[in-house]
Amino acid sequence: MERAAQQAVPLGQMEVFEALQRLHMTVFSQSVSPCGKFLAAGNNYGQIAIFSLSAALSSEAKEESKKPMVTFQAHDGPVYSMVSTDRHLLSAGDGEVKAWLWAEILKKGCKELWRRQPPYRTSLEVPEINALLLVPKENLLILAGGDCQLHAMDLETGTFMWALRGHTDYIHCLALRERSPEVLSGGEDGAVRLWDLRTAKEVQTIEVYKHEECSRPHNGRWIGCLATDSDWMVCGGGPALTLWHLRSSTPTTVFPMRAPQKHVTFYQDLILSAGQGRCVNQWQLSGELKAQVPGSSPGLLSLSLNQQPAAPECKVLTAAGNSCRVDVFTNLGYRAFSLSF
Amino acid sequence: MGAVTDDLLKNTDENFQYRKNEEKHLKMTNEVIRKRLLIDGDGAGDDRRINLLVKSFIKWCNSGSQEEGYSQYQRMLSTLSQCEFSMGKTLLVYDMNLREMENYEKIYKEIECSIAGAHEKIAECKKQILQAKRIRKNRQEYDALAKVIQHHPDRHETLKELEALGKELEHLSHIKESVEDKLELRRKQFHVLLSTIHELQQTLENDEKLSEVEEAQEASMETDPKP
Repeated sequence: MERAAQQAVPLGQMEVFEALQRLHMTVFSQSVSPCGKFLAAGNNYGQIAIFSLSAALSSEAKEESKKPMVTFQAHDGPVYSMVSTDRHLLSAGDGEVKAWLWAEILKKGCKELWRRQPPYRTSLEVPEINALLLVPKENLLILAGGDCQLHAMDLETGTFMWALRGHTDYIHCLALRERSPEVLSGGEDGAVRLWDLRTAKEVQTIEVYKHEECSRPHNGRWIGCLATDSDWMVCGGGPALTLWHLRSSTPTTVFPMRAPQKHVTFYQDLILSAGQGRCVNQWQLSGELKAQVPGSSPGLLSLSLNQQPAAPECKVLTAAGNSCRVDVFTNLGYRAFSLSF
Repeated sequence: MGAVTDDLLKNTDENFQYRKNEEKHLKMTNEVIRKRLLIDGDGAGDDRRINLLVKSFIKWCNSGSQEEGYSQYQRMLSTLSQCEFSMGKTLLVYDMNLREMENYEKIYKEIECSIAGAHEKIAECKKQILQAKRIRKNRQEYDALAKVIQHHPDRHETLKELEALGKELEHLSHIKESVEDKLELRRKQFHVLLSTIHELQQTLENDEKLSEVEEAQEASMETDPKP
């Protein structure tokens, strides 16, 4: 009865605005802190929120522990991608990449450490950055996005070393193949290209839509998600989610999932994928669907596994997408609770 | 007036004294009750028995006749043995409690050890699970590749087919060579034949011409030698 009475009071403009903002929010990217206790999430308004995983997972967690510890305006446009090094949080979206110190990020009024813009060919339009990839051995950061090129930035000096050209349309996703070391990039033009980092040249191209087993022309040819395991690669998006053997460039298993997948990752002996659809799907390498766990958002855009060795009690899978909530799965079998912006 | 107050004062004094006495009495009875409870935990009248024994001992010491003294003596002995019996019982119970405590200590330590052991086993099992998952992943990767490979035909068969085809090719090329040789030979022979025919023809024509010329010469010689 008390609740109903409270709702009858007219809400102020600020609250209406906030509620509308939360309704239309999309969380594009997530990143775990190096200590493993915090999770950063970036949304389409350019805000980054830091959640405390250790507080939310502890036994005396209350409703406030599921709210962010701090939210700040990081970019002018959506934050499409974030990665963490062992001291910094790097976020990118509207053509710039900014760095924040994890140690300072919880304080009010945190300022970015530095911001950089890769050298674009035209200065008229600033293309967005869709994907960031850290190459820890060479201390490189690779950015890829709207201008169809992969830019490499040295993290120590901040200079942009080279740009790889080859894609004919914008790039969606990047993955690192540790053994060679090579970078895989997948884009709107339907091709997965492998680039060698040392020689900065294209090594292989796999045109996924040309293979009959996986192509789905009614969905398009775009590659939305990539993950690699040095010998194997999973990619999906317009074409069906498929497992490829990289050495022979042959598709070995097609996963029977209708909806296009937006994020995929290898975990132990499973492949986890999420996309258009509420559920996080768990696949065996043989193509069988092991489990489908529903989340709270109508569509999922990013998955993050907290495998930091410093915080084994915070080892969770978090999924975020077309809503203001970030689902936390403590055990891959069910959704434990949701953090909310 | 003075008498009344005096009386009142006396009364209050008396009341006060009476109350104090009562308090003392209560305290004493409390103490006594406490002591009695401590001594006589069982409630089977041990304390009373001991008091009775003491009293009967004193009576017996002061008694006169022989028989009465003897019966009293017997009664005292029986009470004494009863007291000894209950004392023995309490001692045994005390021993039993001590041993139970030891037993519990032992069980407690055993359970602690088994908990530690269980923790270790859990860690072991977790490692084994990871290992098993890796094995399963490898097996599935193998299966996936094997499926792809199955689509392609067997290497032995292909090699055999290749060999057979190679042999056929060789055979056919041999035949081709021999046929070509034959063709050459026949061509040469025909060439020889034709050239001989041509020569013969030529010779015949030459002969004819010669004979014609000779005839013409003879005819002219026949007309000529008349002059």
